[in-house]
Amino acid sequence: MTRPLPSTVVSDLAEIVGHEHVITDPERLLVYESDGLTAYRRPPRAVVLPSSTEEISAVVELLHSNSIEVIPRGAGTGLSGGALTTPEGVIVGTARMNRILKIDVENRIAIAQPGVINARLTKATNPYGLYYAPDPSSQSTCTLGGNVAENSGGPHCLKYGVTARYVTGLTVVLAGGRIVKLGGVGRDPYSTLDLVGLFVGSEGCFGIATEIEIRLLPITEGVRTLLGIFESVESAGRAVTKIMASGLMPAAVEIVDGPTIEAVEASVFAAGYPLEAGAALVIEFDGTEAGLDLDADRAEKCCLEEGAIEVQRATDPEHRVKLWRARKKAFGAMGRIAPDLLVQDATVPRTRLPEVLAGIDDIGNRYGLKIANVFHAGDGNLHPNILFDRQNQNELELVELASKEIMQLCVDAGGTITGEHGVGVDKRKYMTLVHGPAELEAMAAAKRVFDPASLFNPGKVLPDAEGEPSTESDKILAMGE
Amino acid sequence: MRVDLTDSLSSILPGEAFGYSVPSSLSAALRTDVETIVAPGSVEEVAILLQWASDQGVGVVPIGTGEHTYPRYPRDPFIVLTASRLNEIQHYEPADLTMTAGAGVSIRDLATQMAIHGQWLPFDPPDVRNRTLGGLVATGLSGPLWAGYGQLRNHVLGATIVCGNGQILRLGGKVVKNVAGFDILKPMVGSRGELSIITSATVRIFPLPAVDRLLVLEATDISELVPTARAVATAPIMPASVTLSATSNGSRLLVRLHGAQVSVDSDQKSLEKHTSVSFEVRDTPEDQSLMLEEIDVGINTELAVRVWALPSQIDVLLDVLKRVPGVSLNADVYGGSVRAYLPEHLSDIESSLKGLQKDIEELGGSIRALRIPAEVNVPTYFTKPLVDEGELASGLKRAFDPQSVLWGIG
Repeated sequence: MTRPLPSTVVSDLAEIVGHEHVITDPERLLVYESDGLTAYRRPPRAVVLPSSTEEISAVVELLHSNSIEVIPRGAGTGLSGGALTTPEGVIVGTARMNRILKIDVENRIAIAQPGVINARLTKATNPYGLYYAPDPSSQSTCTLGGNVAENSGGPHCLKYGVTARYVTGLTVVLAGGRIVKLGGVGRDPYSTLDLVGLFVGSEGCFGIATEIEIRLLPITEGVRTLLGIFESVESAGRAVTKIMASGLMPAAVEIVDGPTIEAVEASVFAAGYPLEAGAALVIEFDGTEAGLDLDADRAEKCCLEEGAIEVQRATDPEHRVKLWRARKKAFGAMGRIAPDLLVQDATVPRTRLPEVLAGIDDIGNRYGLKIANVFHAGDGNLHPNILFDRQNQNELELVELASKEIMQLCVDAGGTITGEHGVGVDKRKYMTLVHGPAELEAMAAAKRVFDPASLFNPGKVLPDAEGEPSTESDKILAMGE
Repeated sequence: MRVDLTDSLSSILPGEAFGYSVPSSLSAALRTDVETIVAPGSVEEVAILLQWASDQGVGVVPIGTGEHTYPRYPRDPFIVLTASRLNEIQHYEPADLTMTAGAGVSIRDLATQMAIHGQWLPFDPPDVRNRTLGGLVATGLSGPLWAGYGQLRNHVLGATIVCGNGQILRLGGKVVKNVAGFDILKPMVGSRGELSIITSATVRIFPLPAVDRLLVLEATDISELVPTARAVATAPIMPASVTLSATSNGSRLLVRLHGAQVSVDSDQKSLEKHTSVSFEVRDTPEDQSLMLEEIDVGINTELAVRVWALPSQIDVLLDVLKRVPGVSLNADVYGGSVRAYLPEHLSDIESSLKGLQKDIEELGGSIRALRIPAEVNVPTYFTKPLVDEGELASGLKRAFDPQSVLWGIG
């Protein structure tokens, strides 16, 4: 049972942000009991929704002076339980911090508050011929603050890189409410250490970003989208390696495997993929219009050489949307096959994809579990989805075991335990697969520099006992990407 | 105090670690003679050395080639640690576009290996081929090509480092997407050996472009070229780099276009239409290297600074800098930064630099010294980091180099 906040703290919070922006009603708090990974649930003691850097600073100062832990939260679309509260925590949400403060066309930068939705920044900058490159699958709902916390990726990060490449400066609120400016275009980047780079991806454990300076790119002139249909996911994987080794630089290279195609084609999202296909490969090139057909021709040749049954090429924007549909709607469609799914997020060196995919298939067969793969093949970022029924206790245990074996398989292949979803609470148990005690202590030391009393999002990222769900019954395996 | 620490070190390091010569420009950068230089041959030897230094209270100055070292006052006594023996390419998988190599491997050697497979490391700070991988990562310098390829810091995928107290850490990995834990690799890149010593690094590499075209526009005064340079930098297509230079041979705008032949032809047409100018084209590597090297003609001058402001302020920045008689300039137009190579016979260096600092900081910009004569008090001319940034950086320094044997921030 969550312990309510002392009434004096509630009234002090209300004084800072307004009574209507402090949520303590247990029913309303249920909305905040988990993020996109609903395996972990716990309602916070309260939710506070400030609207400015100064308000966030005052809220953090008040909570920290009462030794109350602060759990930052964006849109709650994260997939690692990063926004799960601790038993004593208060969630500080950025939903009201949703203003784009500046679009500087001359210098191609924007300054936005953390609650701005990712896709909204692109929409707002499009009239100036600019856009924001990182495009996580949840971009129509996820926030820039959440993207900063998770160092989010997305399909087009293959060519353009992840969030860290685009964040040039930050205003952050640190322990005790201290407001600190880090970096910024126009300043000597070598005058100090790369604190912006360290803060990005710190999963809310260092502080809260309250203003984000972002680099924008000019909109590309043209785009070409191809869909390769393969008999097996291994041959699609080999085609990926061939394309990338050929010197081509696609904007995105995504694989959808047979079980996923089956699910999509049986759903309202049917994209017309052949049901007998073992895998589909979506390849996209963007850039100067004049070179795109040549790139597409070369990629098509690579696919055919690796045994593609057919290669389609989008002829108009609608066709492009259709070719992408199975990739984009895969997670929604999987609900038809099984009531629940667990999304994993490991990265392996691209050349190891075929053997790792075969290994995952083998793990699924051994445990009698259906595993569907939809992933960013170009950068080796796998998303194996284990399909199951949470009502079946025996199956739940098998899912846990299979999940751990998949992680070990990826690490043994030279990979890592998370490419873009973050560690949060969920992958802490796998951290020792990739980091030794000295590396983990070094990360803890870095956290202490920003948050010495561990009052920002404790119990995340680093594998200690803090913040674990109190009982197994708190944990119900997840659904959604 | 000048102390030769070789005797003490010879009991902990093998004979191969000794006998290395001190790079010619190093003593000037350190403002003192270098008495002891050692070359550990493995990460373990680096760790032993740093444990020893921590115990003995001896400063350690890490160098790559030692030819591009920032002006700094090392702790006294100190030794120089050269990465010369950490010179192996440990892992290169062309199909993965990743490479792991020792800190002492020269960029020239890496480039030769990568070129065999049609690949390269697209970073071009001055004199890049004569730098080492460790030096490049430790300085975090990307060069103007960052515009087309992103900053070096985003392409360092992993590194083995040794902290000031001898603790070995293996950070990051060999994959291009990795968010497994706090990214403590990021502050190591560009920390210039102040937090740790990088013994090897894994970097993302790129396919060589089919065509590397250099567009050139010449003028007598750099200011005449600025409007075109800014027009290029705000055009709908994004060149790989845009550089402005002013030397005694005149002023030039250099625009690099990378890609397939048809794309580069099309990009050139777009840019010429957008800017209403016709560029001279240099497509052969020989022509290009002549031009690209010439912009860093001042690389060996004893007095050089680098300044930053918003890219849109590059005109004002150049106006301020070209007031210095005899100055050579090299500007990264996308980055809003300029390297200024100042004449060594400049009268009253201190007041000239103070004047520059004042003007540039009034613009909201920053200035730092790259090379400076021994008699000039260096830290005065660095634009200081913001107070809070400085405190956080000091906290990291205490965490990773508790005895402060590595350089010392300042």
